[in-house]
Amino acid sequence: MELFANLAHGFAVAFSPINLLMCLIGALVGTLVGVLPGIGTIATVAMLLPITFGLPPVGALIMLAGIYYGAQYGGSTTSILVNIPGEATSVVTAIDGHQMAKQGRAGPALAIAAIGSFFAGCVATVLIAVLGAPLTKLALAFGPAEYFSLMVLGLIFAVVLAKGSVLKAIAMIVFGLLLSMVGSDIETGASRMAFNIPELADGLGFATVAMGVFGFAEIIRNLDAGAEMNRDLVQQKITGLMPTRKDLVDSAPAIVRGTILGSILGILPGGGAVIASFAAYTLEKKIAKDPSRFGRGAIEGVAAPESANNAAAQTSFIPLLTLGIPPNAVMALMVGAMTIHGIVPGPQVMQKQPDLVWGMIASMWIGNLMLIIINLPLVGIWVRLLRVPYRLMFPSIVIFCAIGIYSVNNAPVDVILAGIFGLVGYWLIKHDFEPAPLLLGMVLGPLMEENLRRALLISRGDWSVFLTRPLSAVLLGIAAFLLVLTVLPALRSKRDEVFTESEN
Amino acid sequence: MADTMGHSATATRNTSVAIGFCLLAVAPQIFEFIWSIGTIFGWGAGRGPATVLISHATALVAGAPGALIGSIGGDTKKASSDVLLALIYSYPIFAVAIVTLFMTIRSAQDYVGGIVLMALALFALWASSDLQGMRGFSFGAGTAPRMFGGLLVGLGAAIALTGLLTDGPSMAHYSWRGPLFVMASIVFFALAIRPLGVVVSAFTSFLIAAMGTHETRWVETIIVGACLTLGCALLFPYVLGLPMPMFPRFLVQ
Repeated sequence: MELFANLAHGFAVAFSPINLLMCLIGALVGTLVGVLPGIGTIATVAMLLPITFGLPPVGALIMLAGIYYGAQYGGSTTSILVNIPGEATSVVTAIDGHQMAKQGRAGPALAIAAIGSFFAGCVATVLIAVLGAPLTKLALAFGPAEYFSLMVLGLIFAVVLAKGSVLKAIAMIVFGLLLSMVGSDIETGASRMAFNIPELADGLGFATVAMGVFGFAEIIRNLDAGAEMNRDLVQQKITGLMPTRKDLVDSAPAIVRGTILGSILGILPGGGAVIASFAAYTLEKKIAKDPSRFGRGAIEGVAAPESANNAAAQTSFIPLLTLGIPPNAVMALMVGAMTIHGIVPGPQVMQKQPDLVWGMIASMWIGNLMLIIINLPLVGIWVRLLRVPYRLMFPSIVIFCAIGIYSVNNAPVDVILAGIFGLVGYWLIKHDFEPAPLLLGMVLGPLMEENLRRALLISRGDWSVFLTRPLSAVLLGIAAFLLVLTVLPALRSKRDEVFTESEN
Repeated sequence: MADTMGHSATATRNTSVAIGFCLLAVAPQIFEFIWSIGTIFGWGAGRGPATVLISHATALVAGAPGALIGSIGGDTKKASSDVLLALIYSYPIFAVAIVTLFMTIRSAQDYVGGIVLMALALFALWASSDLQGMRGFSFGAGTAPRMFGGLLVGLGAAIALTGLLTDGPSMAHYSWRGPLFVMASIVFFALAIRPLGVVVSAFTSFLIAAMGTHETRWVETIIVGACLTLGCALLFPYVLGLPMPMFPRFLVQ
C-alpha cells in the first residue's frame, strides 16, 4: 500500500530529533500565545512567522503547524477555565465548558476537550493521507478556468460562512481583491496603484496586513473597552482530570459527529475551524434529547466543538497541499512561509517534496499527542498566565509584533503599513465589517486574476468558457446555488441563529 | 432613539456627516499638500506645496468641469491626473455629501461604512486610471483593478442604501487614547529601529504604547518593558539569527 509507505516515510521524517523538537516548541509556543486572550490564531501565526525563518523548510512548517493547533488548544483551555475564549474557534466551548468548571468539573472538561481534539486529529491525519493522492490527480485535470471557478466557490463559501450581512462580506472580499492588486502586474510588470513608493512595488505583504487587521486592531479595540477585562477566574484547584465513565459514554458519539462535520467543513475552501465549532455545537443541541441541558454544563457541548475545530484545522491543509489553494487566512500564511523557503504550494509539492508533505502530516499526529501529554499537567501554569494584567500585556504584544514585522523584510515601512492597517481594522470593526473575508480575498486575489487572465487568453476572450467546461460549470453552479440559498429568508434566519449562539 | 431626539437632532447629525464626506472628498489632495510641506525641508521628493495647492485648486474649480464639458463635446484631450482625481474621486463624493443632507439616515453605521468603501473604490479607480486597459481579448494591467473597483463602488452604494432603508445601529463610539498611543508607538519604532537599534527603540515604544490606557502604573511598566526588551534583544538577533541593529549607531561607532 502506497498510503502506508507514505505515512511510514512521514513518521520517519517527523521522528527525527530536530523535527520532534520543532514540533514540541511549536505546540508549546502556540499554546502559550493561544492562552493569552486578545490574540487570535491568525495573529499568532503571523506574529510567530519570523521566528521560523532561520530553520530548514521541513522544520519550519512543522513548527508553524504546531503553533496553529497549539493556539487552538490554548484557546479552549482559557474558555473552559475563565470563560474568555482565547480564539474564535473556542467561543462555543466556553458556553458549556465554563459551566462545567463552575460546577467543579474543570478537569473532566479539559480532558474531554483534549481527548476529542486528539481523536479528531488522528482521523484528520488519516484523511489527509488518504485524500492527498487522488486530489492531486484531480488537480492535474484542472485548467485555469477550473481554478478560477474553484476560487469563486471558495470565496462564496467564505461569504456564506461569515457572520452578519452577506453584502458586507462580499464587499470585504472585493476590497481584499483590490488590495491584492497593489504592486507590480504579474504579466506586464506595470506598477499598479503603488504611487511610486518603492516599498509598494512588491505589493502589500500578507503578513503585514494580517498583523495589522487582526493584531493591532484587536489591541486598539480591547483598549476601548478598558484594559481591565472582566476575569472570572476559577480559583479552586483543579483536581481529578479523569472524566467518569458516564462522561466518556456521553461524549463519544458527540466526538465522532464533531469530527465528521469538522473534517468536511475544513476541506471546503472558505470554511475552517471557526465555523466548524459553531456548526458542531448547533448540531449537538438540535439532536439532543434534552436541549435545555446545553448551556448548563453539558459535556457534549465541549466534546463536539473541540473535536470539530481540530478536525477542520487539520483538514484545511488538504486544499493547500493538493491544489495549492489556501482555504483560509491561516493557510494563506502557510503559503507565505512556504514561499519564503522556496516551495510553491500545489500538486507538484507532493511528488517533489515528499519529506515535507508527509513529514508535516505525521507531525500533526505527534503534535496532538504531545499536547495531551504535556499540556494537561501544565494547566496550572496557563491559568497563572491569565493573571497577567492587560495593561502590561498589550504594550508587549505591540512591540513583539513590531519587531516581528520589521524582521520579515528588514523594512521599517512595513511596520508603519501594519499600523495603518491596524487603524483600518479598527474602523472595520466599528462598522461591523468582518476582516476574515478581506484577508481571504487578498490571498486569493493574485491567483484568481492570473487564472482569469489565462483562461480568457486561451479561450480568445470568450467568457462562456467558464460555463462550457463541465468541471468549471459545476463549481460555478454550486457557488450560485449557495449564494441564492444564503439570501433566501428561511435559511438566513437559521444562519443568524447559528451565529447568535455564542452570545448566550 | 432618533424619535425621541426630534427633528433638529437628526438634521445637525446629517450636516456633520455631510461635512465629513466633503472632507473625505478632498482628503487625497489635503494629504498630498501636507506631504509636500516636507519638500521645503528637503524630505522626500515631489511637488512643492504651492504647486500642489494651485494645481489641485484649479483642477477642482476649473479643470474638471472643463474636461467634463469637453468630453461631452467629443473633445478627447488627455486630462491631467489632478483633473482626473477631481473627476473620478472628489466630484462623486461631493455629490453624495449633498444628497446626504436631504436623507433620513436610519443606520449611520451602514450608511457611512458603505460610502467610505465607495470612496476607497473610487480612489482605486483613479489610481489605476493610468494603466493600460484591454488589448483585444487580452487583459491589460488596469483591467482587473478597474473591474473590481467598479464592483466595489456598486457594493458600497448598496450597503449605504441598506443604511437608508433599514433600521440599524448608529455610529459606534470611537476613543482616541488607545489608537493614538498605539499608533505613535508603532511609528516611533519604525522610525527608530534603523538609527537607534532594537534596545532603545523597543523600550521607548513600549513606554509610549503603555500610555494608551490610564491604568498604567509606571514602576511595573518600566520593569516589564526592560525585561521584554532584553528578551527580544536576545531572541531575535541571537536565537533566531535575524539581522538587526542592537544599539544606537553613534554609540557603536
